[in-house]
Amino acid sequence: MARQDKIRVLLAQFPLETHNRGVITVAGMLRDAGMEVILLGNALPQHVVEAAMQEAVDVVGISTYCGGEVALGEDLLAAAQEKGIKDRTVFLLGGIFPPKNGPKLEKMGFSATFPPSATRDEIVDAIKKAVAYKKCG
Amino acid sequence: MSEKTTKEILKAKAVPGERIPLYNPQALKSIEKEFARWQNTVVREQDRKNWAVTPRTILGSDIPRELLYTPLSNRDFDYMSDLGFSGEEPFTRGVHSNMYRGRVFTMRQLSGAGSPEYINRRIKMLLEHGATGANLALDLATVQMFDSDEPESKGQVGTVGVPVDCVEDMEVIFRDVPIDKISVSIVTHYPRNTAILFPMYLVMAEKRGIPWDQLPGSSQNDFIMENLVRSALEYIPPKDDFRVQCDNIEFLRKKVPQWNYVTLNGYNLREWGSSGVTEMAVAVANGIEILKDMLRRGMDIDVAAERLAFFWSPANDFFEEIARLRAVRRLWYRVMKYRFEAKKPRSMWMRCHTQTSGVSLTREEPMNNVIRAAYHALAAVLGGAQSLHVDSYDEAYSVPSEEASILSLRTQQIIEAETQVTQVVDPLGGSFYVEALTNDIEKRILDEVDEIERRGGIIDAVASGWLHTKIARYIEKEQRAIADGEIKVVGRNYFRDPNLKMPDVWVHEYEEEIAREMRDKLARLRQTRDNEKASSALEALKQACKRGDNVMAACLECARANCTEGEMRRMFTDAFGLWKSPIYVK
Repeated sequence: MARQDKIRVLLAQFPLETHNRGVITVAGMLRDAGMEVILLGNALPQHVVEAAMQEAVDVVGISTYCGGEVALGEDLLAAAQEKGIKDRTVFLLGGIFPPKNGPKLEKMGFSATFPPSATRDEIVDAIKKAVAYKKCG
Repeated sequence: MSEKTTKEILKAKAVPGERIPLYNPQALKSIEKEFARWQNTVVREQDRKNWAVTPRTILGSDIPRELLYTPLSNRDFDYMSDLGFSGEEPFTRGVHSNMYRGRVFTMRQLSGAGSPEYINRRIKMLLEHGATGANLALDLATVQMFDSDEPESKGQVGTVGVPVDCVEDMEVIFRDVPIDKISVSIVTHYPRNTAILFPMYLVMAEKRGIPWDQLPGSSQNDFIMENLVRSALEYIPPKDDFRVQCDNIEFLRKKVPQWNYVTLNGYNLREWGSSGVTEMAVAVANGIEILKDMLRRGMDIDVAAERLAFFWSPANDFFEEIARLRAVRRLWYRVMKYRFEAKKPRSMWMRCHTQTSGVSLTREEPMNNVIRAAYHALAAVLGGAQSLHVDSYDEAYSVPSEEASILSLRTQQIIEAETQVTQVVDPLGGSFYVEALTNDIEKRILDEVDEIERRGGIIDAVASGWLHTKIARYIEKEQRAIADGEIKVVGRNYFRDPNLKMPDVWVHEYEEEIAREMRDKLARLRQTRDNEKASSALEALKQACKRGDNVMAACLECARANCTEGEMRRMFTDAFGLWKSPIYVK
């Protein structure tokens, strides 16, 4: 696949997250699937959006283990809306969070959410579908 | 490198006298002959071909295992040199002569999440149910050293632990808790948050009239956790963080003598992604570096080493976990005896807290985790751990519920009171298999310590990103092995239920109320305290960082002046500057 065809993914965590096993694991899966992955690390929601713009990524994936995903997810999407990248960017969230927050986040604008039980194939397929969907408009 | 590595020192100094092999040569000869016959005639060809297999499990070590172990696996086994008796050198069989008959492992469960008031009730509830220590988990804002009212703390206050901003919070959490009678583990993983929060605990004790030398407990205080394992918005350079770690130790040794000043945290490193061998090698290498620093500060080795403790992660590979604890106990003894020439037996003890592995648990069919954690816990006890936390079955969902926490405590009580495994010390000692595995693991740990020391020591191994890369590779490799089904996880990729439904597991709800109360309290505090006194204490802390004075002593004055955690954090970053983690691009 030519470089410009590669799906570009930014992986990040919210400001106080202490875990990064999740992003490292998912980065490996996505690279194996031919995607380009940038590990941003911890950042405030508005800084995640700024990095997404700078890196011109198709996908922003948030890894969360320690709660606060609904409040911070809302801030992230609001910042994306404000900067005008919400409609063309796929937002995903994975990690440990209460099961009922999955649908809540998806309703809010995340294309998909992944609990720790998500498999490599599930994550890769979901990204490919969501990116294709966004590109078709 | 002019300085000799630990492995070289041990090789040069720890030459045992003439070994006295337990197995007599005539017997070995006959076993050898019969073994060859049996292997070639009775054992099936496919088993003979696959004589040694490498077990594949989550957080596994890749140590090959033979089909059957015999005296031939450990021909020159010398009972007195290799094992001895419990409570005596080389401590392979345990650090105490009577082990659990004398004192059962401390049953320590994390206190949970919520407001300081709630956690105070929860600690008292666990003590009423027979817990023998308290384990204070902090919320993320507190762990990462942000105040509850900073923008970064949004959505995180009181979620995975208790928020602590100032001395007042410590007073609420430990109200009516007999802190001079029960041992308290304050889960401050990092040197910096230990330097900031422990003085708040001391000031709380001071206000209650409890002398510091009567406080039993432990802090983690591990720069590996701060610079390597955790993810964070900001880091200070590893060499400065190592210094903060050692400043804390020096202060605690002198002023709070019963406090376990460092818990060398293998656990979180392994849970992040490493084999059990790397887990122990990194912790041992850090321990060695700390003691070298204490000697440079003029401390006697037996004073420095007395209260050092380790924290390990017993995971899936049952016999490997038992062998690991025995192996590192013997290795640490050798390090203390021959590298540091400690005199007191206590300095040579590898004492440890253990927590069952969380990464090995699954979200699918969570009740399976009860079984997993029970095996992990049993391995820790058979390996001779001093203290234990059993993970709860609902950890892949949320911070454990009260019901799940009690079940974890019950798991420990069943091991202690019903299985009878605590009656006999080191029951697997002498097993052909366990002894061979213990020898192999001890050697592997020392080899990895040697590799770290040859790279310039533990601080460089972190600062250069070498360890970050090693762990990241391990995580990616393990993930592939799970995705490919090479590592079997029951209920997940092995006999997965095609109609799997996620069960209804109770989870903590975020309570906005807690964050509001904390914000109000901080606003009140900043209005009522002597702000001039607070500012000058903070300035003195920054100067202590720059000048090389003891930072914990400076933080103590900040705590007395009612400074908050976030205010103290900023002094450290102002003085030391920021460091970039090699994991991230920014």
